[in-house]
Amino acid sequence: MVAALLIALPFLGAFLIPLVGLASKRLSHYIPAAVMLTNLGISLALLPQVMRSPIVISISGWTPPLAINFVVGPLGLGLVILISLIGFLVTVYGVGYIHEEPKEKYHILILTLLTGATGMVLTGDIFNLFVFFEILSLSSYALTGYNRDRGGTEAAIKYLIQGSIGSAFILIGIALLYGITGTLNMADIAAHIAGADPTLLFMAMSLLIVGFGVEAAIFPLNAWLPDAHSSAPSSVSAILSGIAIETGAYAVARIVYTVFDNHGIMLILAILGVITLLLGEMSAFRQKSDIKRLLAYSSIGQMGLIMLAFGIASDAGVFAALFQLVSHTLAKALLFMASGYIIYRVGSKKLSALAGLGRKMPFTGAMIAVAVLSLVGVPPFAGFMSKFSIVRAALAQHSATYTGLIVLVLLATVIEVGYFMKLLQIMFFTEAETEGAVKELPLSALIPITILAALVIAIGVYPQMISGVLQQAASGLVERSTYIQSVLGAL
Amino acid sequence: MTIGNPMMYVGAVGLIMIGLFTMLSKRNLIKIIIGLTLLDTGVNLLLIAIGYVHNRTAPIITRVHADPSKMVDPIPQALVLTAIVIGLGVTALALALAIRVYGHYKTLDTRKIRGLKW
Repeated sequence: MVAALLIALPFLGAFLIPLVGLASKRLSHYIPAAVMLTNLGISLALLPQVMRSPIVISISGWTPPLAINFVVGPLGLGLVILISLIGFLVTVYGVGYIHEEPKEKYHILILTLLTGATGMVLTGDIFNLFVFFEILSLSSYALTGYNRDRGGTEAAIKYLIQGSIGSAFILIGIALLYGITGTLNMADIAAHIAGADPTLLFMAMSLLIVGFGVEAAIFPLNAWLPDAHSSAPSSVSAILSGIAIETGAYAVARIVYTVFDNHGIMLILAILGVITLLLGEMSAFRQKSDIKRLLAYSSIGQMGLIMLAFGIASDAGVFAALFQLVSHTLAKALLFMASGYIIYRVGSKKLSALAGLGRKMPFTGAMIAVAVLSLVGVPPFAGFMSKFSIVRAALAQHSATYTGLIVLVLLATVIEVGYFMKLLQIMFFTEAETEGAVKELPLSALIPITILAALVIAIGVYPQMISGVLQQAASGLVERSTYIQSVLGAL
Repeated sequence: MTIGNPMMYVGAVGLIMIGLFTMLSKRNLIKIIIGLTLLDTGVNLLLIAIGYVHNRTAPIITRVHADPSKMVDPIPQALVLTAIVIGLGVTALALALAIRVYGHYKTLDTRKIRGLKW
């Protein structure tokens, strides 16, 4: 039952913040970090046990499929580790970074957002998935508009409108699925789906993919992303880009692989992924005015890459998708956190304002360079290993279509190299416009960034560190009969 | 899927379509939010319609020996209760943001709210 704490603790923490705030405001700001650190500890401690067999928790003692249940498998737990690691680093960063009052509300919302993400990856019940998804989205709408400025408010309302259309689609999809199978448990649905009417099933699946696709920023459902990710406070952008869209991608993969097991949709998913990738990278390439917008477009591109890898529909493909997900999360969280303070110090979001910064703040510059090179896919960083495994998985299919898609991916990577090298060139090889030193980042930002950069290098040099978990997670997603057995067999 | 009275589905889907149309075609933020609530209501009706069985009562147990075969499916009703609460939260947040948008732009016309560019 320890695994249930992974969801209970953040919720408890979120509602404790205002109470503790009555006694000591300063102390209450550290609650999110403390909770996330505890979660990280619990999930790492559970890892060896989960690698042997998944833990299934049923709420209030009813057996599945009757009760709402949580399935702590290698995939779920691996993502929880990622979420609590990034959550911990970003909340530590947020304590110093957030200046706008009321700070308690920021810390409550960031913790509910992380609860939503954790719940989404652990739940085994499709309606519960929707509920946690709504917790995640509502917190992120509110956080996007947290600074109350013009851009943030506009981005938040756009995000809210598009996101809630998506949520309505998900709910219709769940209603159809419940009508078809008479159950809400994902394993039970998966077990009963074989004889059902294919037209209705296809409708339900498309509704669910469209709904979660809004959060996962699949083309053409991603119009909200560049606005929201660039206008939100930087710590929020790091969470949105590093965690929120990834859980959307997880939900899409879970629906497609575990619930429906539809192989016809995989190629469409892969093609949509490549379109998303190309559009994201091209939009980022022509972005000159706003560094955070450039990073947001690059996130769209990376999500496209993850979708493509999920669409390869093999063990190796899913493994590559998860690997890419991890390496993108680490690098993008680093970049958003670093850019947050840089914008604050320089006083401008413009790319040209970054001129010479790499020499003025050499340590931060080096960290940014690590993240950028990893995103582009230069060895020995994590991004190289993940991109390489995507290419290898696609070529292993021996199909002309996937080989063609990989050619487009390499083209997109060239575009990516173009704009990221421009960023590095501006930072390191351009003369600064203004004289005078720029201070390095404060310690509360430097430590998270350094940890992330160290992880990017460590995973790149020694991928075996995570590949064991990812391998098991991938086979847990592809082999749905094992999933069904482990949930329903645990009666 | 046990199809009950088809009019219930027609009504629910109709409401969903009206809501979607309103959200996509109107330019006023408040009207868009009204469309959102219509859409939510339509989805809730659809859920209820799926769980409805003709000539049965609400699944509320008041006696010890209540006969479950005389009741409708309780799960969709539980789902709808949750969905209504979520809808309430989303609508409240949307209206709060609309007020703030009005404060910044002095208009609710989405064609004029274009501070952010691609």
